[in-house]
Amino acid sequence: MATLRPILLVEDNPADIDLTLAALKKTNLANAVIVVRDGVEALDYIFREGVFADREPGPPAVVLLDLKLPKVDGLEVLERVKAHPKYRTIPIVMLTSSREESDVVRSYEFGVNSFVVKPVDFKAFFESIRDLGVFWAVINEPLPGGF
Amino acid sequence: MTASPASTPAAAQADFLAACEREPIRIPGAIQPHGALILLARPDLRVLQASANFGVVVGPDAEGSCGRPIAELRWGSDTFCRELAQWCEGPEPLYLRSHRLGQQAFTVSAHRSPQGIVVEFEPADDRVPPPAALYPMLRRFLERTERLADVGELSDRVAEQVAGLTGFNRVMVYRFDEDWNGTVIAERGDGVLPTYLDLRFPAFDIPAQARELYRLNRLRLIPTADYQPVPIVPAHCPVDGAPLDMSFAALRSVSPVHLEYMRNMGTVASMSISIVVDDRLWGLISCHHAAERHIDPQLRAACDFLGRLVAQQIDARERAAEDKERLRLKQVETELVTHLARAPTFQSGLVERASHWLGLVNADGAAVITDGIALTAGSTPPIDAILRLAEWMHERRLDQLYATDCLSAQWTEGAAFTDVASGVVAVPISRIHASFIMWFRPEIIRTVTWGGDPAAKVSAETGRLHPRASFASWTEQVRGRSRPWREAERLSAVDFRTAAVDFVLKRAEERAQLTEELQRSNRELEAFSYSISHDLRAPFRHIAGYAELLAEEEPELKHISRHYLKGISHAALSAGQLVDDLLHFSQLGRADLRISRIDMRKVADEVRRSLDLESQERPISWDIGPLPDCWGDPSLVRQALFNLAENAVKYTRKQPETRIRITGIERSADVLYAVEDNGIGFDMAYASKLFQVFQRLHRPEDYEGTGIGLALTRRIVERHGGTIEARGTVGQGATFSFSLPRRPEA
Repeated sequence: MATLRPILLVEDNPADIDLTLAALKKTNLANAVIVVRDGVEALDYIFREGVFADREPGPPAVVLLDLKLPKVDGLEVLERVKAHPKYRTIPIVMLTSSREESDVVRSYEFGVNSFVVKPVDFKAFFESIRDLGVFWAVINEPLPGGF
Repeated sequence: MTASPASTPAAAQADFLAACEREPIRIPGAIQPHGALILLARPDLRVLQASANFGVVVGPDAEGSCGRPIAELRWGSDTFCRELAQWCEGPEPLYLRSHRLGQQAFTVSAHRSPQGIVVEFEPADDRVPPPAALYPMLRRFLERTERLADVGELSDRVAEQVAGLTGFNRVMVYRFDEDWNGTVIAERGDGVLPTYLDLRFPAFDIPAQARELYRLNRLRLIPTADYQPVPIVPAHCPVDGAPLDMSFAALRSVSPVHLEYMRNMGTVASMSISIVVDDRLWGLISCHHAAERHIDPQLRAACDFLGRLVAQQIDARERAAEDKERLRLKQVETELVTHLARAPTFQSGLVERASHWLGLVNADGAAVITDGIALTAGSTPPIDAILRLAEWMHERRLDQLYATDCLSAQWTEGAAFTDVASGVVAVPISRIHASFIMWFRPEIIRTVTWGGDPAAKVSAETGRLHPRASFASWTEQVRGRSRPWREAERLSAVDFRTAAVDFVLKRAEERAQLTEELQRSNRELEAFSYSISHDLRAPFRHIAGYAELLAEEEPELKHISRHYLKGISHAALSAGQLVDDLLHFSQLGRADLRISRIDMRKVADEVRRSLDLESQERPISWDIGPLPDCWGDPSLVRQALFNLAENAVKYTRKQPETRIRITGIERSADVLYAVEDNGIGFDMAYASKLFQVFQRLHRPEDYEGTGIGLALTRRIVERHGGTIEARGTVGQGATFSFSLPRRPEA
C-alpha cells in the first residue's frame, strides 16, 4: 500500500461534520479526510473538475455521502458516480438522517455500497463510522489498475 | 267451436283469424239492397257498372243504362245531371243531395274513385229533419260538451246525442288501446239490447283491414244483417278490369263474418261512426238495433259530423290530459331530485322516497341496480331475477329507454314474474356497467276493474263470434301484459334518467375531487414527515453527540455537571426516538400492504425470543397456545404482536412472577388473537384512550415509552380490516385482543 487514499466526506451540516470528524478521529484511521459541502463540490472532487481540477490524482478510499445536500443532492451524486464507467468502483456509503424507505430503495438501485441511518445515540453513531471506516478505508483493497 | 281441421282450439282460432284478415272486404262485388249504385266514367259520366237492383230501385227506365252517358238516360233528371257534372269539376270530395228521380225522391251521394265516379241512391226518408234543423242540435251539443274535461263524460254525451238522433236501441263508444283491443267506455240504450258497458274485446274482433276501412270511410250502416247482397254488373270494371273498389261506398256489402257476429250479438241493424284522432282510429261510435233500421244519408252525414267534432274534442282533451300528467310527473321528479341531492347516496335516496320513485311512472314496483347490487321498492321480482334482467338489458345495449308491457314476450324468464313485472320500464344510468333504474307493473288481468260481472251481461248469446267468446279470448290475449306505459310516463322516465345520470356523475366528480384533495394532502404529509425525519432528527442527534463528546473531553467534570450532561443526552435521545416512532406511524398509513398467509405460532415464538433477550434479568413464564394462521402483511402483523407482547413484558415488570399468555381462535369471518398478562392492568374508564397517539396512563419515569406503540398497533390492525380491544382491571392484569379478517388464498 503506497499512500493512504483520503476519505471524502460530503456533508453540508457543520454539526454533522464536527461529529463525523470526531468519530473518524476516534477510529485512529490514518487516512486524510477531505470535506466538501455540497453535491457539486463532491462531483468536482471525484471527477477532478472545477475547483478540484488540479488536485492530486487518485480516487478517494471511500465517499461518505449525506443524502440531503445543497445544489445537487446525494442521490444524484451517487447516480452520476455509479453511472460513470471509470469512477463507478469508488465505494460510496450513504449517510442519512432518514429511514425513509424510498431513499433506501433508490440508493440500492443506483448501486450504493452501504446505507447508514445516522443513529441519534452518539455511541451507536461512532460504532457505525468506525465500522465503515475500517471496512472501506482499510480492508477494502482498491481495484487493480485504479487511477 | 265449429268443426275445424286444426288440431287445437288455439290453432283453429289462428286459422279463423287469418281467414278474417284475408277477406276481400274492399271489393265484395256486391252491395246491400237498401239502395243502388252505379259507376260513371269521367268526364262523360257514362255508366260503366251498376248494381243489379238499379232498375228495381230507381225505376224500370234505369234498366240497361250501362254504356250510356247519364244525360242521355230518361231517369236522370236535368238538375241531377247538371249538378253532378258541376260537382265533378269542383273540389268537394263528397256529393250529397236530394233528387226526385222517376217517381221517387232519393238521397244521392257520390264520391270519386280511381275507377270513376261512384254514385249511390237511397230512397229518401221524409221523417228526417231538414239539414237546417240539425245545425242548432249540433251547436247545442258543442255548448254542452265544451267544458267537459273528461273523455269518458264526453263519450257518454255523444252516445246520448247519437241515440237521440238515430233512435238506435243501443249506442256505445268503443275505444281502442295501443294493441287494438277495445273497451266500451260509454253506452246509452233503451234497454231492448243488453248493456256492454266496460266489456273488453280482443283486437281480432275487428281485423286490421276492417280498421283501415273504418279509418278511411268513417260511417257505415247495415240496416239489416239478414240481407241478400246485390251483385255489381258487370263484375269487373271496364276501366281496369278489376272488381269495383268500394272502400268509400256507403252501400258496400259487408263481410259474412261480420253479419254472423251481429246475429250472435242479437242485433239486426248496426251503424258505426269512426272517431279518428291524429289520423289514427281512436274508437268507434257503435249503434245497434234489435230490428231492421234505416238511417237516411243526410242524418248519417250529421252523425259523421258529430263523430269528427268529438274526435277533435277528444284530441284536445287527451293532449291537455297528457300535458297535465306530464306536469304532475315533473313535479314528482322535482321533489324526488331535491330529496336525492340531500340523501347520503343516490340509491338510499330513492328507497327513502319510494312513493315518489314509483310515482314517476305510476309503477307498482321499482329497482335501482348499481355495481351488481339491487335496491327495490314496492312489488318486484326477486333480487337475483332483477340482476339477471339487468344483465340481459345490458347485453342489449340500451341507449335511453326500454319499455314493454309484455316482458315475457322478450325475456323468457319474465314468464315467472308476470304477477309483478309484466310491464317494465328501464333506463340505463351507466355507459359501462349494467346499472339501471327499473320500474315494474303487474299483469293487467289483476288490475282491470269491471263495471259488473261481464259473463252475466251476455248470458243469452250463443255462437262462435260473440262478446262472451271474445272476452274469454281477450283474457287469453292480455295474459302476461300490463297496463301500457303512457307517453308522459315514458318521457318522465327519460327525464329522470338525465337527472339521475347528472347526479351520479356529479357525485363521481365530487369523489374524484375529494380523492385529489386527499392525495394532495397525503403528498404534503409525506413531504412533512420526510423533512421531520431529516431536519428534526438531526439536531437531536447533534445535541446527543456534543454532550457525549463534551463528557469525553472533560473527564474531570463535577458530579452535578456530569448529571446535567446525561440529562441533555437522555432528552435528546427520547426526542429522537419520538421522531422515529412518529415517522413510522405516518409511514404505516401510506405503505401498501403485502398480504400473505402468516404462521402466527412462528411469529409469536420469534417475538418471545427477542423479548426474552431484553429482559434477561427476570424470568417470564410464557404460555403460547396453538395459534391459527392468519392473513396480513407479515412485518406489520409481527410488529402488532410484538408491541402487545412488549407492553405485557413492560407492565409486568414489578410483579414477583410474570405470566404472559398468547392465544388465538379461528372464527367464521376472522381470526382472533389475545395477549394476556398479570401486570398492573388499567382502569377500564381509560380503555378508549389507550389506543390514541401520545396517550399514556403512567408516568414516564415508571414506564418508558413515547405513547405511540398501541396507536401504531391499532393502525396496523385497522389497515388490515380488523378490530382491536383492551380489557383490564387495576392491579389484575390486562388482555389485548385483535382480529384479522380471513382472506382467500392469494
